[in-house]
Amino acid sequence: MKRFAVVAVLLLVSLMVVSSAVAAIYAGPRQWYAGQTASTAFSPTWIRNAFSTYGSGFDKTVTFIDNVSYSWHNTVRNTSSWTETYAPYSPFRVITDKGHCKANVGYFWGSCSIY
Amino acid sequence: MKLITRRWAVLGATAILAASITAGGVIAAQLTTFENPDRLAKAIEKDPLVLAADIPAAGGAARHSVLVQETSTGHICLWDVPSATPGLKQGGCNSADDPLAGRPLSVSFSYDGGPAMASVRDARLIGLTAANVASVEVVMNDGTRRPMRLEQARVGGAEYFAFGYRFKAGDLRRGIGPAAVVAFDDSGVEIDRQATGFTG
Repeated sequence: MKRFAVVAVLLLVSLMVVSSAVAAIYAGPRQWYAGQTASTAFSPTWIRNAFSTYGSGFDKTVTFIDNVSYSWHNTVRNTSSWTETYAPYSPFRVITDKGHCKANVGYFWGSCSIY
Repeated sequence: MKLITRRWAVLGATAILAASITAGGVIAAQLTTFENPDRLAKAIEKDPLVLAADIPAAGGAARHSVLVQETSTGHICLWDVPSATPGLKQGGCNSADDPLAGRPLSVSFSYDGGPAMASVRDARLIGLTAANVASVEVVMNDGTRRPMRLEQARVGGAEYFAFGYRFKAGDLRRGIGPAAVVAFDDSGVEIDRQATGFTG
């Protein structure tokens, strides 16, 4: 009985380790349909935002949305298998924003990552 | 009673074990069949960049460069970067086996502001075309066209053309934005058309 418990706990811990290794992924990998979106929490620490797909040719968007005007910044839209942008930066103030990704078409397999 | 409790405990532990193995299998399957984002992200940070085209400064917006990057992960990336800070990349990557995703033209659209077109402050288009493309035009949503200036680019041992273009701020303020990008061959035949999806 104890062996089962130990093995189960070890497996759960190893799963948690695997999860933390891919913690930069904030949406997916999953099937996306047209119009579906995903966002991170607001933070001043984000640097890059990327949307990767299995194969290319799928129209998608990545951007950052600030927490004051809720305007979009550094938006990129293309059909590459990897779509990336960088977070807005100002030497005069801290910008708090969230990473946001959007599938403009469906259906494809992909994930959004924040760095 | 003690025997029943023990059986339930064993059953529960077995269920947890089975669920863990199944979940692990699912994660492992995704990681082996799907591009590892961290690996490509790291390659994008460190692999060399080559200048392919320029986007001149205009209306207070800084000069940008169009850069091509062949990564150690087997990708070809096309970036729109501020010329003064090339680490700030906007664009994308495709497999080096198929950098244009099976088409004569691959484009990437970048803008600041929005999502409504009236609030967009700076919008740029970059692209890479096959060698058989003779010209590229952007069709605006008012029907007018903007010709792209193509620059020769050697990528992965093959010849391509690259371009970069900044849309006029006045056009954007009036709600005139890019509707489609069209490629022509040397006899003027349209060989590719891609909608930007940019409706404001």
